[in-house]
Amino acid sequence: MKTFSSLFNIHKKGKFGDFENKNEKNLLKIEELSNLLIFQLVKFKSSNFEVKKIKIDNLNLPDPLKSSSNSSTRILWMGPDNWLVISSDLNLLKQEEKKFDDKNFALTDISHSRTIIEIEGNLTDEVIKKGCPLDINDLKQGDCANSVYNGMSIVIDFISDDPKKVRIFSLRSFGESLHHSITDACLEYGYIGN
Amino acid sequence: MLNIKCPYCGDRAQKEFAYGGDGTVKRPELNKEVSNKEWDDFVYMRKSLRGKHIELWHHISGCRQWFRAQRDTATHEIFKTAKISEEI
Ligand SMILES: [Zn+2]
Repeated sequence: MKTFSSLFNIHKKGKFGDFENKNEKNLLKIEELSNLLIFQLVKFKSSNFEVKKIKIDNLNLPDPLKSSSNSSTRILWMGPDNWLVISSDLNLLKQEEKKFDDKNFALTDISHSRTIIEIEGNLTDEVIKKGCPLDINDLKQGDCANSVYNGMSIVIDFISDDPKKVRIFSLRSFGESLHHSITDACLEYGYIGN
Repeated sequence: MLNIKCPYCGDRAQKEFAYGGDGTVKRPELNKEVSNKEWDDFVYMRKSLRGKHIELWHHISGCRQWFRAQRDTATHEIFKTAKISEEI
């Protein structure tokens, strides 16, 4: 079966906005990420299971408002006893699901229900500020946050500080709107669609 | 913009929250005979206080948790927020 990424017909490659006479290094870079495994892990309220004992892809479950990551997998804190796992290893869920018995945990594959847009560049914070009320100066690599962007519920994963890079997740059905909002916010700085 | 301190996430903008109404209303006891009046009071009847009020809020575009807040309905000042399991 052929699958299409959510921005397949929307995201365009090339240079856009006010990019002329600007150093290419300073332009924002926008990319859609697809072909990732995404699953949600929830520990039931009635469970006393000690989550510190568990690792996924050798990563601990992160503390509130934090992420933990290695080269293939990122785990984001979503709320109390609730995490989102994103991995380029598409077999990860199959390998790890034995660790989570269904008396204590719910594991849900939501790989096809999200749109992910990665933004890179010195002006990334400015783009986020245009639509999102988070106090962005305090958020650094290793942090993650649920919030809103122009009214859409999003998750922001702060990937790195140098170069500045973040990933924004929305529901797939909001992907086109989010892409439009983000690229519109980028126009005055100029951006490269990758 | 009004900032609300989620007990799980800290200070966040009001945009991320949904208002959940009076935080002091108690459901009639389970499996007990309930009169129409009691049920009516529980479902519909609310005071509209001026001053300090205990409210439910939902961090719907955040950690998705419900919590209680003590807010002044005249000044919008929020004095305190607490998890549902905690006293306020
Ligand atoms: Zn919260």
